[in-house]
Amino acid sequence: MFKDKTIPDLPAISVSSTEEAKPTPLEEEVVALFDQLQERLLRYLLSSGVPVQDGEEIVQEVFLALFQHLQRGKSRRNLRAWVFQVAHNLSVKRYVANLRDRKHMVEPGAAPDEDSFVDHNPNPEDQLMRNQSHARLQSVLRALPEQDRRCLSLRAEGLTYREIGQILDMSLGAVALSLGRSLARFTRAEER
Amino acid sequence: MSSKDSHLSDQELLLAADGELPPARAQQVASHLTKCWTCRVRKSELEASIGDFVRTYRGNLDPLLPSPAGPRALLKAQLAEMTAERAAAPPNWRTKWLQGPTPRYAGAALFLAVLALLIYLRPAFESRRAFHVVPVSFPEPSLTPGLAAGVNREQICQAVPPKNRIVPASLQRRVFEEYGISGAEPRAYEVDYLITPALGGSDDIRNLWPQSYSPAVWNARVKDALEDRLHDLVCDGRLDLATAQRDISSDWIAAYKKYFETDRPLQ
Repeated sequence: MFKDKTIPDLPAISVSSTEEAKPTPLEEEVVALFDQLQERLLRYLLSSGVPVQDGEEIVQEVFLALFQHLQRGKSRRNLRAWVFQVAHNLSVKRYVANLRDRKHMVEPGAAPDEDSFVDHNPNPEDQLMRNQSHARLQSVLRALPEQDRRCLSLRAEGLTYREIGQILDMSLGAVALSLGRSLARFTRAEER
Repeated sequence: MSSKDSHLSDQELLLAADGELPPARAQQVASHLTKCWTCRVRKSELEASIGDFVRTYRGNLDPLLPSPAGPRALLKAQLAEMTAERAAAPPNWRTKWLQGPTPRYAGAALFLAVLALLIYLRPAFESRRAFHVVPVSFPEPSLTPGLAAGVNREQICQAVPPKNRIVPASLQRRVFEEYGISGAEPRAYEVDYLITPALGGSDDIRNLWPQSYSPAVWNARVKDALEDRLHDLVCDGRLDLATAQRDISSDWIAAYKKYFETDRPLQ
């Protein structure tokens, strides 16, 4: 019933040591997906105006949710799109929650924060060389509707039209139209 | 592309470039492009726009990306914790059932079957219910090693000795969770102090454990008697407080046998 054991002088009772257990295959799988997707996911969030700290929190929350999703034996179909979709939904949810505190998030449809679409390249020569066309691109980007900008960002992160449609709840045709429309604006801006 | 002279739309050029067209249509588009300079130029303009966008996008955002090392370590730690929590918690069969392929009908049928069985077997079930509660006579040392609050002999031997304080409901829940007691089971237990406050025990979770109400031989009443005995011995100066705390926290039943000089509880 009881094991013989001696306890050191009280009150300094030792707490059982929390040795780091070997990760389970599921933990390893989720960490591998994190390695594969976190940068793209965070960049996408930043592109839609989410501040860096909030973005990091959302990414963390997404992978914990993914772990629970897989723990419950739910669908493993296209986890990449699943991860982006959850991140997108969380960022929208967070925006709604922070509506009263407009300092934290950029209003969807409005121009993104200076943080996300301002050139942070520190090299002044490079900056000068690209200055004109860059300024045009920036202004086109800022003028894009929120949904079009999200489509472009997701495509830039390597997602297929079908995945983008799933994440943003759009039809395939609407995704194609949105991308075509945005790129045409870029081309027109270059022509000017 | 209804006629040979019509040009491809931007949208179709983009779909083709992104590999999103059905194979037959993709072949038609490729064939058109070999013949039509206008569409080829438009396609390269679109490609150039894609390049411009990607450079701007990455150039703006990449410098903002922090190192993933910290979040990665945090994620690993949180996953390990979630695995441990899940291992400690009993499986939730009801949820499993509801997630099945035909949950609605199977669930309803099962519910009716269980209800009928319960009504039929109720008397037998009532009489056997006590056996579902595992009598806990001693705490799990790794979960409840016992912890003293750092008070001295004078403080515990004052005219009115410290009484057992009511353990907050949230702390009680944590104790039950630690011991894997869930559902209706907690009602069969009392969260008790291993080292009682009358012997300088702490309110910390490491000093709390679920003691069952079921009539085990070594039950709460027996432990109460030991606590009183040790308190008297300490306050009479016949026993060192630290020894009393150590004895009751390491094996309270052995301590009872030692201080009452008996192998069975004195009733």
